[in-house]
Amino acid sequence: MTDLYKNILRFILFTFAQSLIFNNLEIGFGIHLMVQPLFVMLLPFEIGVFSLMSLAFVLGAIIDIFSNTYGLYASSLLMMAFFRPIIFKFYSPREGYDPIKEPSIIDMGGRWFFFVYGYLLLIHHFWYFFIEIFRIDQILFILQKTVLSFIFSYLLSILLQIFLMKKSKAN
Amino acid sequence: MRNLIAFFKRFRVFLYFAFLQIIALSIYVRYLSFPKSQYLTTASSITAKVLETENDITKHFSLSKNNLALQKENIRLRKNLPQSLYRVDRNLLKINDTTFKQQYAYIPATVIHSTVTRRNNYFTLDVGCKQGIKRDMGVFSDKGVVGIVHNTSEHYCVVKSVLTKDINIDVMIEPIGLFGLLKWDGENPRRGSITGISNDLRIKKWSKVVTRGGSGIFPRGLAVGKVESIKGIEGEPIWDVVVRFSENFRTLQRVYIVKNLMIEEQKELEAQIPLDEEDE
Repeated sequence: MTDLYKNILRFILFTFAQSLIFNNLEIGFGIHLMVQPLFVMLLPFEIGVFSLMSLAFVLGAIIDIFSNTYGLYASSLLMMAFFRPIIFKFYSPREGYDPIKEPSIIDMGGRWFFFVYGYLLLIHHFWYFFIEIFRIDQILFILQKTVLSFIFSYLLSILLQIFLMKKSKAN
Repeated sequence: MRNLIAFFKRFRVFLYFAFLQIIALSIYVRYLSFPKSQYLTTASSITAKVLETENDITKHFSLSKNNLALQKENIRLRKNLPQSLYRVDRNLLKINDTTFKQQYAYIPATVIHSTVTRRNNYFTLDVGCKQGIKRDMGVFSDKGVVGIVHNTSEHYCVVKSVLTKDINIDVMIEPIGLFGLLKWDGENPRRGSITGISNDLRIKKWSKVVTRGGSGIFPRGLAVGKVESIKGIEGEPIWDVVVRFSENFRTLQRVYIVKNLMIEEQKELEAQIPLDEEDE
């Protein structure tokens, strides 16, 4: 039950953090900070595929409404949610995932998180900028935006987890 | 039939994914060109309220700079007031003026939300249908052109800024009067480009770029920016003209909306131009 409340609270926090704070930060070089993929990442291990995709879609749609992007965030978060189970399966430990733990850097360790979140965030960012710009002759610009934003969003996600999250209890 | 059910069962995750993805992308494509309703944009009342509260908190950060800009504009306008002019010819009779008729009216507004880093950037303003704002009205600030109204609700409106894909404002380069369309390539929020200017004429660097006023959205002669560089495009007889915008969209707060009182007349007249069959 506490898990449910925690995730509802996170949903609200991530929506407002992204739409009111991080969308207004302008760093330059086409860098666009995005923290909302972290919400999709941190959902419990045993969540069903359909509820995972629906949650990602709804979160994206709400951020879209706040930032006049008309479905861009929803589409890219959905893309990430679709690939999450596939990549989780690929990197699963031999004895399977422990349902008590959370898929965060604190519970699962840096090595696991580094690869899994790295791939998911890269998919998310590439899809976002690809749909946003949608021109083959600007592919270099798409890649520049993707890579730079990816690096900064990634560091931000790690910092947020280190400062704001505690290790899940053993029982 | 059984095969079909088996197919749906097997690919249900992917089908659900594709279904949601198609919804998201179709809304994206449709809203980009013509928004059908206000509910999915920042013009809707709930999101606009939240953004207005946010703006109430953050607007003070650039208050002094904004005041300075407004003061400068006031000084410029005050110069044109009758009190500050010296009348040279004292023998004029006052006559009822029929030579000039008001064509443009201006409505002041405050920006409550804006972006500059995306491919398509929009502003949300705190005026809407109640104040007579309609789609396709022009928006400008004291420094230059800002955008065109994209979508309105009762109390708010969303403005498609100069920093969007198909903004296509008709502009001209000042001393020679060359016409072209203003575009933005999505990279730098301080620079745009003009297309459609043929390279048989020479353009001076830093010549002024102003609106042409052809489509009736903006009055003629509003500042847009200055020509920063001119390059030839290989294989085409046109210049690639880079414009430095006079308005810094990152710190924009006070804008004016242009209301053309004769737009209906112009539209009616232009609708009578016969369509070219081949262009269909």
